[in-house]
Formats: sequence, structure tokens, C-alpha cells
Amino acid sequence: MIFREVEDRDLIAKARRGHVEAYNVLVSRWEKRVFNYLLRLVGEREDALDLSQDVFLKAYQNLKKLDDPAKFPAWLFRIAHNEAYSLLRKNKPEGEITAEPRMDDASGGLFPIETTLAVRSALERLSQDHREAVLLKIYQGFKFEEMAEILACPVSTVKSRLYTALDLLKETLAPVNSGGSQ
Amino acid sequence: MSCSTNLDLKAYVVGELARGERAVVEDHVRGCHSCREELDRLNMTRAALATLEDEEIPRRIAFVSDRVFEPRWWQTMWRSGPVMGFASAALLAAAILVHGFERPIVSVTKAPAVDTAQIEQKVEARINAKLDAAVAKAVSDSQAKQAAEFAQVLNATETRFERQRQADMATVQQAADYYQRQLGRLVVASNAEFKQ
Repeated sequence: MIFREVEDRDLIAKARRGHVEAYNVLVSRWEKRVFNYLLRLVGEREDALDLSQDVFLKAYQNLKKLDDPAKFPAWLFRIAHNEAYSLLRKNKPEGEITAEPRMDDASGGLFPIETTLAVRSALERLSQDHREAVLLKIYQGFKFEEMAEILACPVSTVKSRLYTALDLLKETLAPVNSGGSQ
Repeated sequence: MSCSTNLDLKAYVVGELARGERAVVEDHVRGCHSCREELDRLNMTRAALATLEDEEIPRRIAFVSDRVFEPRWWQTMWRSGPVMGFASAALLAAAILVHGFERPIVSVTKAPAVDTAQIEQKVEARINAKLDAAVAKAVSDSQAKQAAEFAQVLNATETRFERQRQADMATVQQAADYYQRQLGRLVVASNAEFKQ
């Protein structure tokens, strides 16, 4: 856990009293994570940016409804989840929310480009629910209980989605004959 | 996977197990080839996923304060129970302190003995002085009034006298003219008789 001179809960308390600058500091801490979560969920950079702005605006407007400031991350990602699904429902007919994010122009890391491409491809092939479970767990580090709050479903459902996703990803990223066993 | 144990390897990989549970898994995989192979594949998958790094956000998100919609200082204070309570208590304390410092000092002192004769003298002297001043003023006013009236009467008398004098002078002049003419006639008559 990174030590912060001013905790999020202090910024939330100030923002609740109308201190916009305190909220801007809070936004600067979370905007990158929210943006990347939305980018991997909806696939379009501009959409992800617009959604991020909407998410933080809604969060500001509803900040007083947040009962426990310690739950701010899960609460914020719950808003992001809802905003993303609103967009996906708008773009896709009812019952066909299977967005396939295009992450082909995403920035590469220090790892071999083949691995990065393979990961993107494997994530794209997952269903929306499975991909979101991976995003929240692997990339955002939420606990199962927090994921259940964000996704508004039981913990058992969260675990089921994540485990299925890991099995599918494992088949692509760590096949049996790839030397997984020593 | 041929192992029949019920260990949650995926929970282990994603960090959802407690320390004791993690130790159990680690003990088991040391002696179980299939579970170790499964754990290696899961770790490899996790490592591969970690290669996808976060992107920087294209534009920073920031909100601008709009004072039209922001609560005024008194609205903020009014809505805050603790602040209102503290402000009220502070105000009350300040009022008590101010009252304590600004309260007029009430002291009981013995009144001096009253010298009535002296007071009467002073009063009499003041009254006399006022009377003297009033009398002097009345006399002065009267004298001034009389002088003014005298001057007015004198002026009127002089005017009347002057008119009378001028009238008398005119009468004298007429008489003188008359006697002059009579004298002239007598002279003419005498001269005529003398000639005859």
C-alpha cells in the first residue's frame, strides 16, 4: 500500500464540503486506473475518456451518498461499470453485450511484443463478464467482496466468472506443451 | 489434473488466500506433480497478463469550481452541525467575557454632608447676578429706545421749524415788496404834485 500524505478519505471529506480542488486531487489519483479499466472494457480510447469524465462527474455529484469513504474505490468502479454497460447497451442490441475491445494500438511494455499481443488477443476473446472479472481482479486488484459490490452479484458468481476466465486464458497463454511444468 | 484434493489454486494465484491457507497449498504442490503443473500454468498466465501495461490518460480530467453553485460560507456553516455548535459556544463564551469586562462597576460611597446655607448663598448669588444682568439689559434697552425717539422728535421739529421759517420769510418778502411798491407810488405822486 502506497503511503499518501493526505488520505483519500480526507480528500473525500473536503470534496463533500464543496472543495473542488480536493476532488481534483482525488481524480488525479484514480483517473488512470478508471481510464484503463474502461478502455479494456469498451475498447475505444475516446469512449473510455468520455466515460471517465462522466464517471468522475457522477461520483462528485453523488459523493454525499457514499456511506463509507473506505469503500470509495469499489464505489467509483461501480459507477464506471454502470457507465460502461450503459454505453455498450446503447451500441449493441439488447442481450448482445459482447463488445470486443480493440487494443491493437495500445502501448507496449517491456515484455516481448508477442506476449503482449497474445494477451490482448486472449482478452478480446473473452465474454464481457469474464473479461471484466479479470480486469477488476488482475489489473485493479479488488477483493472478491469488492468485485461483488461493483458488479452487483454474489461472490460465488464473481469467483465463477474469474475462474472460468483464467481457465480460458490459461489455454492460450500457458498451454500444456509450452513448458508450464518443469 | 488427476489430483483429488480440493485446494483452490486459482484463489492462491490471485491472492485471495490467507497465510495459513497459502502454506497448505505450498506444502501440497511440493509433493503433487499435477497440482504443481497446474499452479505453474496459472502463474504463467498471471505473468503474461501483467505484461499489458496501463496507458496514460490522453487528457487529464479536472473540474472547475463554479461559485454560482457552490454553497456560501454561511450555508456551509449552517449545514454543519458541529461547526454551528462550536460557533454558538464560542459566541456565548465571547459574550460572557465581554460582559464581564464591560460591566459598569457599582461602588457604594458615603455621601458628603449637605451645607444648606452655602447652597442658599450660591443660589441667591446666581439669582442676583441674573437679576442684575436683566435689569441692566432693560435699562440699556430703554435708554436706547428713548434716544431713538428723541432723535426722531428732534428731526421732525427741525423739519417743521424750517418750513415755518421759509413761510415767514416768504411773507416778509411779500410785505417788503408791497411797501416798496407803495413807496414807489408815493414818490411818483409827490413828484407829480411837485410838478404841478
